[in-house]
Amino acid sequence: MKKKLMALLLGSCMVVGLLAGCGSKPAEGNAENNPPAGDQQEEPSGGEDKTDEPSDEGGETAGGDFTFEIIVKSFQSSYWQAAVKGVDQKKAELGVTANCTGPNQETDIADQVQMLKDAIDKTPDGIGLAACDPKSVLEVLQTAMDKGIPVVAFDSGVPDAPAGSIVATVATDNYAAGATAAENLYPALKDKIANATAPVRIGEVNQEAASESITSRGLGFIDKIIELATADGKKVAVAGNEFYVNGVKGETVAEGEADIIIEVAVPAQSTVELCATEASKILSKEDTIGMFGSNQVAAEGILTANGNLNVLSSDPNEGILAAGFDAGKTIKGAIKDGTMFGAVTQSPLAMGQTTIEVLYKVASGESVSDVPTQGYWYNAENMEDDSIAPNLYD
Amino acid sequence: MMSKNTVNTVVRKRSTIDRLGGQKFIVLLIVIALFIFFCIASPNFRKYSTLMNILDFSYYITLMAIGVTFPLITAGVDLSIGTGLICYSLFGGYLVTFGGWPVWAGMLATIMLGMVFGVINGSLVAFLDLPPFLVTLCTCMITRGVGSIIVGGFGISWPTASEPGGWFRSIFKINVNGTMIPIGFLWVLILVCVMAFVLNHTKMGRYTLAIGSNKEATRLSGVNVKFYQIMAYVISGLFAGLAAIAYSAIFSTVQPGSGAGLELDAIGGAIIGGVSASGGVGSVFGTLVGVFVICLLKTGLPFIGQQANAQQIITGIILIASVMIEIIKRKREKN
Repeated sequence: MKKKLMALLLGSCMVVGLLAGCGSKPAEGNAENNPPAGDQQEEPSGGEDKTDEPSDEGGETAGGDFTFEIIVKSFQSSYWQAAVKGVDQKKAELGVTANCTGPNQETDIADQVQMLKDAIDKTPDGIGLAACDPKSVLEVLQTAMDKGIPVVAFDSGVPDAPAGSIVATVATDNYAAGATAAENLYPALKDKIANATAPVRIGEVNQEAASESITSRGLGFIDKIIELATADGKKVAVAGNEFYVNGVKGETVAEGEADIIIEVAVPAQSTVELCATEASKILSKEDTIGMFGSNQVAAEGILTANGNLNVLSSDPNEGILAAGFDAGKTIKGAIKDGTMFGAVTQSPLAMGQTTIEVLYKVASGESVSDVPTQGYWYNAENMEDDSIAPNLYD
Repeated sequence: MMSKNTVNTVVRKRSTIDRLGGQKFIVLLIVIALFIFFCIASPNFRKYSTLMNILDFSYYITLMAIGVTFPLITAGVDLSIGTGLICYSLFGGYLVTFGGWPVWAGMLATIMLGMVFGVINGSLVAFLDLPPFLVTLCTCMITRGVGSIIVGGFGISWPTASEPGGWFRSIFKINVNGTMIPIGFLWVLILVCVMAFVLNHTKMGRYTLAIGSNKEATRLSGVNVKFYQIMAYVISGLFAGLAAIAYSAIFSTVQPGSGAGLELDAIGGAIIGGVSASGGVGSVFGTLVGVFVICLLKTGLPFIGQQANAQQIITGIILIASVMIEIIKRKREKN
């Protein structure tokens, strides 16, 4: 009797567990069945194999019914949501079919390679690829080329790709985007630097020191600050994480002789809580006047740290000026209410659109070339503008 | 004769420390020493805001640690609490953000899902007699996947302080005339007291300790061992759910796929606080002070200029040291 009861209990636990696990399925189904076309509050849907409704194809079919496979890095941030939206908009406009897939996490490299293989097996007219790890896709790219499937790299390039396998690259110039943050932050700090009697400090939080995008942004920011400060006759020192200290191109001096110290912090893991700890270390120093977080996680880490410190302001005379990167609800809110000075956004929407456009051109037999997309500076004044707002995803 | 003398001295030594609270007393001294050390070493550490930061990070680790103390005492372990925390928070946050649920209902759902996974863990351990390490390693992976599927891989933001429903962020700290008051610490202290009472003064707690020290003897004395084993994991799940709420209240965005490694901070804290890794011994107060060793190291080491990777090494060494102290202590008791 007792055993039966236990078996019953165990059985019911498993059922509840299963239900909990599957609980999301109906919600997902809904999202796919009723695509809230053009709605800002678009529901996030399908981590894997998000197949789009063929009904999107309708309307003015300009030429040929091409099928493209788009593989994103992950669906982890709202950044990719905006990119997928760009893909959806353009494919409806051009009357082509495009399937978006991607691994759960940007670190699931093997999953993404498998997805790329699967995509090639479908023999589409072209593949759009945002490679998680540029090195691990090389072999598969060769296969694609052998089968005559053109690949367009977007978001991140694949520098060592077999010649001819990548027909074009659509990506943000990350180094220039980092410099954009410096170009906008430095003028606001100029008076403070000029009037300072002691060295001042500008902090930078980077979630890691490995990926091309993050390191380029970080170094782009540092080099630009050095360039601008040197032009004003100030000496700059770079301290903190060794990778960034050694990667600097501009002329630096020892910390003791510097007018401006740029302190670079990198946490042990790329989580928001560890970014916050690193940020609070720099924000609590008396001589800190500026701060830069090179992606959404790092920028949110700075804001989390400020939740206790309350030292940030968009007025240089009242507090530390912070510049962020990317968007998201938290960063947008902080810029709107004057906590954060501004941020650089990439153009994921345009990137998604351009990728389809380039693929379409390739499939139609036109010649194509690399398309660098820009990083835009936004602050409380211009964030509602038509050129900026569509790129500021939640 | 010689050995008898040694035993006597050992016993006398132990009792002096034991009267003051045993290992947790030593750990409390370490916490105070660490705090003073960091205050002297870094002028920026001596700020109210730093204390607030330490407390912010301590809430969810402490809550997870209180919960995981119970499976640890039964000689089990719960590795699913880290990724579970993220999964439960994503689940509740999804219901609030996209399902239109009120925040309190989302919070309740968060806790409930934690308990469901607690029941699953406990049942697999108790009925199928699977090693807890293996079971919870599997549910660790499952919760990670479930969390990502629920939200379709996108990050979830619970309502911010200024949005409707943002009241829940002031559960853990309130703003009084620009000064942050860490009331979350009060709730944590209350929960510590409650769970310490449960562990030491209720049937459930005493059976949990008994299972850990000798499962077979406990079963033979007529205790429903399987039930109390399951309960240990349900408590762990419940507290992982509470930790998920603390996490959501402190941080703006919850990222799916993250959370792996958080359980190690909690388990490490419990072990530093004197919970035996082989079961049967442990206290909730010990866990609380043990967690603060971890939190102080995490927050303090960057302030004294230690690079991130050195922080992990130092934390690891301290953990090994505390496990070794326990083993040495046990060997001396045996001799």
